[in-house]
Amino acid sequence: MKQGLIRILKPSLLLSLLAFNNAASTLAESILLKNGTVHTITMGDMEQGDVLIENNRISLVARSIDTPADQVIDLEGKHLYPGMIAMTTTLGLLEINAVRSTLDTTEVGQWTPEILSWRAINPDSELIPVARANGITHAQPIPLGGRLSGQSSVIQLDGWTIEDLMIRPAAGLHLFWPSMSLNHTPKALSHNFSSWKNPKEQAKERKTQIAQITEFFESAKAYVRRKDADDSTLAVPNWESTRAWVKGDIPLFIHANEKRQIKSAVEWSMEEKYSMVLVGGRDAWMLADLLARNEIPVIYEHTFTLPQQDVAPYDVQFKAPKVLVDAGVQVIFSEGSNRFAASAVRNLPNSAAQAVAFGLDKNMAIKGLTIHPAQLLGLEKVLGSIETGKEASLIALNGELLDIRAQVTHMWIQGKPVSLSSRHTRLYEKYRNRPRKHTEN
Amino acid sequence: MKPNSNRWQAILTGLAFCSSLITYANDNRPAVAPPGHPPRPQGFHSFVGANVIVSPSLTVTNATLVINNGKVVSVSPSKEAASGSRIWDLKGYTIYPGFIDPYYVISPDGSPVMTTRTTAEDHDADHKASGHWNFYGMPGDELDPGDMGPGSSLSTVHPEYSVLDDWAFKSGHREGLRNLGFTAVHLSPSKGIFRGKGAVSLTGEASPNELIQSNEGLQHIVFTSRDGKANEYPKSLMGVISAIRQTLLEAQDFTRNPSQNTSQVYNPSLKALEPVIGGKTRVLIEPGSVLMASRASSLMEVFGVRYGIIATGQEWRRPDLIKQIEAPMIVPVNFPEIPKLPEDDDWEAVSLDLLRNWDWAPETPALLASQGHQLALTLYSLNDQKKFREKLKQAIDRGLPKQTAIAALTTVPAELCGLSESMGTLVAGKLANFTIVKGEDYFTPKNPIESTWVQGRRYPNNQFESDQDKNSKDENKKKDINTEYSKRFARSPLEDHPSKQRPDTLLIKNATLWTSSFMGILERGDLLIQHGHIIEVGKNLELPESDLGSCLVIDATGKHLTPGLIDAHSHSMIMGGVNEGTMPSTAMVRIEDVINSETDNIYYQLAGGLTIANLLHGSANPIGGQNAIIKLKWGEGPDGLMFKEAPGGIKFALGENVKQSNWGDNKKTRFPQSRMGVPVFYENRFTAAQHYQQAWSRFKSGHGARPKRDLEMDCLVEILEGKRWIHCHSYRQDEILVFLRVMERFGVQVGTLQHVLEGYKIADEIAEHGAGASCFTDWWAYKFEVIDAIPYAGSLMHERGALVSFNSDDSDLARRMNLEAAKAVKYGNTPPEEALNFVTRYPAQQLRIDHLVGSLEKGKHADFVLWSGSPLDSRSTCLETWIEGVKYFDLYTDKERTKLRTGEKAKLLEKVKKEAGYQNESTESEEEMEQKWRHFFNLALEKQNEGRILHCDD
Repeated sequence: MKQGLIRILKPSLLLSLLAFNNAASTLAESILLKNGTVHTITMGDMEQGDVLIENNRISLVARSIDTPADQVIDLEGKHLYPGMIAMTTTLGLLEINAVRSTLDTTEVGQWTPEILSWRAINPDSELIPVARANGITHAQPIPLGGRLSGQSSVIQLDGWTIEDLMIRPAAGLHLFWPSMSLNHTPKALSHNFSSWKNPKEQAKERKTQIAQITEFFESAKAYVRRKDADDSTLAVPNWESTRAWVKGDIPLFIHANEKRQIKSAVEWSMEEKYSMVLVGGRDAWMLADLLARNEIPVIYEHTFTLPQQDVAPYDVQFKAPKVLVDAGVQVIFSEGSNRFAASAVRNLPNSAAQAVAFGLDKNMAIKGLTIHPAQLLGLEKVLGSIETGKEASLIALNGELLDIRAQVTHMWIQGKPVSLSSRHTRLYEKYRNRPRKHTEN
Repeated sequence: MKPNSNRWQAILTGLAFCSSLITYANDNRPAVAPPGHPPRPQGFHSFVGANVIVSPSLTVTNATLVINNGKVVSVSPSKEAASGSRIWDLKGYTIYPGFIDPYYVISPDGSPVMTTRTTAEDHDADHKASGHWNFYGMPGDELDPGDMGPGSSLSTVHPEYSVLDDWAFKSGHREGLRNLGFTAVHLSPSKGIFRGKGAVSLTGEASPNELIQSNEGLQHIVFTSRDGKANEYPKSLMGVISAIRQTLLEAQDFTRNPSQNTSQVYNPSLKALEPVIGGKTRVLIEPGSVLMASRASSLMEVFGVRYGIIATGQEWRRPDLIKQIEAPMIVPVNFPEIPKLPEDDDWEAVSLDLLRNWDWAPETPALLASQGHQLALTLYSLNDQKKFREKLKQAIDRGLPKQTAIAALTTVPAELCGLSESMGTLVAGKLANFTIVKGEDYFTPKNPIESTWVQGRRYPNNQFESDQDKNSKDENKKKDINTEYSKRFARSPLEDHPSKQRPDTLLIKNATLWTSSFMGILERGDLLIQHGHIIEVGKNLELPESDLGSCLVIDATGKHLTPGLIDAHSHSMIMGGVNEGTMPSTAMVRIEDVINSETDNIYYQLAGGLTIANLLHGSANPIGGQNAIIKLKWGEGPDGLMFKEAPGGIKFALGENVKQSNWGDNKKTRFPQSRMGVPVFYENRFTAAQHYQQAWSRFKSGHGARPKRDLEMDCLVEILEGKRWIHCHSYRQDEILVFLRVMERFGVQVGTLQHVLEGYKIADEIAEHGAGASCFTDWWAYKFEVIDAIPYAGSLMHERGALVSFNSDDSDLARRMNLEAAKAVKYGNTPPEEALNFVTRYPAQQLRIDHLVGSLEKGKHADFVLWSGSPLDSRSTCLETWIEGVKYFDLYTDKERTKLRTGEKAKLLEKVKKEAGYQNESTESEEEMEQKWRHFFNLALEKQNEGRILHCDD
């Protein structure tokens, strides 16, 4: 039996989370958005359409709505989309990468499932409004460090407190798959002589590391079984933190990039009958069929990575999403978690746009920013498309979402208008209005 | 009467046995030994019936070689032994002149040495050093307080050192060499950049006083940054080259008529270089990479130095550049062997480049020989010297003519070492150094060496018997190797660059032309190009009546055409380090010295429409190195990439990087450590430059002594004279403003402010000064000083009259500068046409090349890009990139390229796996494995940064 399937997410859990949220930010007013091009994502595009927001929800999507509303906004010439979801990001967990005191991205230890990313999110991070300004309404911050770094959370990008931001405190376990490629650096050139390993040792090590992973998950399951059978068993925080995964409530995100690393991770998870989400996926296109066959979604972080193999074509990473989608793999775009990623997460649509320039269907690309991530997080009933009953987290732009020139003009999160100003716009306005310097002559 | 050969055989062998018992000490004995010691044997011998290789071009069959008193007396075709000589019947044997290794590198402790990049060396430079090149700020923090004695100011520059200062050429080394037929080696020192003098030694067993043939050894220069103290200049490849250049300049000054000099103090380092400058002593240079071999060659030509180059074995990368080197090449035979990899899949991850390197390596000697190079062979970096003959055979199987091989082991190295008079051939009067091989051929490894003679003394090969046995057994085993796969499967990298033909006349019709000129955007416009230049831009152009030559008309209906994109800030094509980050001013180092023409980054960026890159030094110091502006003419060598008409520039930097804010807590003593100190540093250096300038102008007008040439000062004077443009890495408004004011005081207009993230706060001042603002949109918040960076900066500065460009500073972004330009539309509503100028006309203006490039205008270079749609639309892709009327990128050729390279890799993998299958599993020791590993995966310097993104801080 497959474990951790997100498609069988327990409705009870979801509902309780929603209730928790609504309590935090209830707005009674209704808003009618008129005459915009409505990109519903799931039901096609409406050249000129109206969307009615009531009680934070989308209550109606139609060609024309005449219901009176507290507020009517004319979106003529504008494009309306669901807000984008920034997957596998460090947004909120760091402020300035080079300043150590502002970093909360990484914990020590190899096996730390009890680490939850939401606990360190700074709601007042200057990076959050900057991300919002380009249309990102939700994010999945992930913890880094170690083999099993912990659990990601899902947040919305507007709220007074960390609890206002919370959508899901635990959205999945993050497992960083061991490298399957040999380190070719000769001993003489290696930076650390003592940790250098010869190829045989390296080959042995990769097997050992996989065995350790298997062992960890087996032990976790054994613990939960025992605890369930005998309530007097004392809790162990580390194992207890895996309970949601053992029960199939949260998925396993496996981070892997290199071809054999991905292959190894997929084979392992198939053998163990665990469902997985592949994160990173640099070389995933080479295994498109394997991924499709096993219905493994890919969170692709490498649109703009340079080709890593010298026989690869120059556009290999640009084309990868098309190759994957053509094979039947669900592709979700992410800017990843490198040192520049949180401050540049606003470029998320550009990654998808580049894939479109190199062949990916435009609608699939946009789904990879909206409904597909929502499905992956078990939030497809709430987020990711413009449909009656969904949460009104929307953005309007003066062009298409994938047009790099387009500007976001409006944003609503849970039906509440959200400011698009940021440190950037404030400084821009300030210095734009600096009086001209008068030179003598 | 001569005994029959079988009996002789027995006697020869018996002798071998005896002499090995008495050990080699006998050779030192005087003719009349003290009582109790056997006297030295007579030295008068006739070798009858052998094939004698007198010289590479002369073999005498069935000849008699006569030697006496350690010298050759005669070689004659008769079978007459000299009367009174000891007679050796050598029918069925071949005699070779003794081999000479011109580059036998030994460290003072006698351990085997591999220099340049292949081993990490210890940092115990204990050579003399003194001087002043240590502008480090804090008293007591100088790297070199000068108490080591006179000499160069750098601990890695010690040309006065002699290998004879540390005698490490031990008996064991000599025996190993003799058993391969080597009778002399040129000992080379192992440490530093200017390593010192070598010496030629024989390989016999005697006291050093008898072995050393010449202490007029060669000088040595190695392009390495591994030696020297931890923070000591130079630590980058470009720094190494600059240090060599400065040292040679000083040596030139030193040898000049003393009356011309400011002060003629004695300096043993410079004194030691006198014969080098005079052309008397040759220098052996180990450049460590193919491109650097070419660079070393041009550097030596400038100084008129005689030199020889130690080949890397990777000459296959750029045979065209290597061909231009007019110097002997000393070639190691350390061809990589196939390492055992744990799984078959591990091979798939091995790059084409490494596979090529493995497949090409044995062909290196043949390749160089075919180019007409004078060739010498060396055991250098061959870890297991016993494999020498096997490797040599590989080289011969791959086309090295035997005659050339003999010359490469005898006459060429003899000449290199200046010992042609006494070694290299078996001509009367030369030393009786030779090797007796059983059979017809040294180059057949199974033919055992019977003995090696040095100075007329016999050194039998103890392994002779067992070699004979072993070889006859081996023969059966190895039968089917080297048949099907003996030929080369790897292609030449030059084949990756299909021949590029420039049509004499080129007419492009019906494109949407983004002219980046006063003409704006022309719908359905035409572009006429002849001989690489734009002749006309307009509508409905016709081919001219005049002589068209080869002619091409392209219908570009529905497509967009822009000028070639220009990146005013790049580090993508730099090798051996982006920063010379040791001293706060490294104005003497030059990016031009280390342009990497072999990196795939050039290709990837061309594929995004980039045609020009401003390669800048990093930002580790307030005054960095000199820049190089290149055109991305993929396939050209470093010199061919240079945009020759572009004026010189230099990288400066302000802020966190130069004050070492993020370098770790132990970096706190280099000046400057604060933004207060940075301008002080500039004032200091430019004032020093004014002094230097004045001293030279006084000297030139006949007053005062000739000042010492100083390459740092030369460069700063060029800035003062307005001949070199500053490109200054900068972030905060305060530091930028202060910097502009300081430079204004010295009468210097700044070329560009790079990154200039807070430039939007002082746009008026920047515009007023006239500095260009070369910025980017998205880099912010990754360190504290970029916290106020905003994506609107470009648009805002442009609005307020500054000259704005967008740069990449990133090997990925440089592939899509058109989309960077589009961000000026998004952030700040810059009109599209103006936004494109941010990556075409404006960077050209900033780099002072706008009279030639940056727009589609009559008379300018035909550098342009054809796009599938608007260049500012994310959905558009680059279809073709042209530079000076030559197409360097298109989609069809790209497909072909991928197909050929993928196919090539598949074939090489097949070959490598097949050959790996022959390897004997059990016999490989840990050390052998490590050796194979190290040679096989020795990534070329040119390929070390593939797939990596280089920034200022790297």
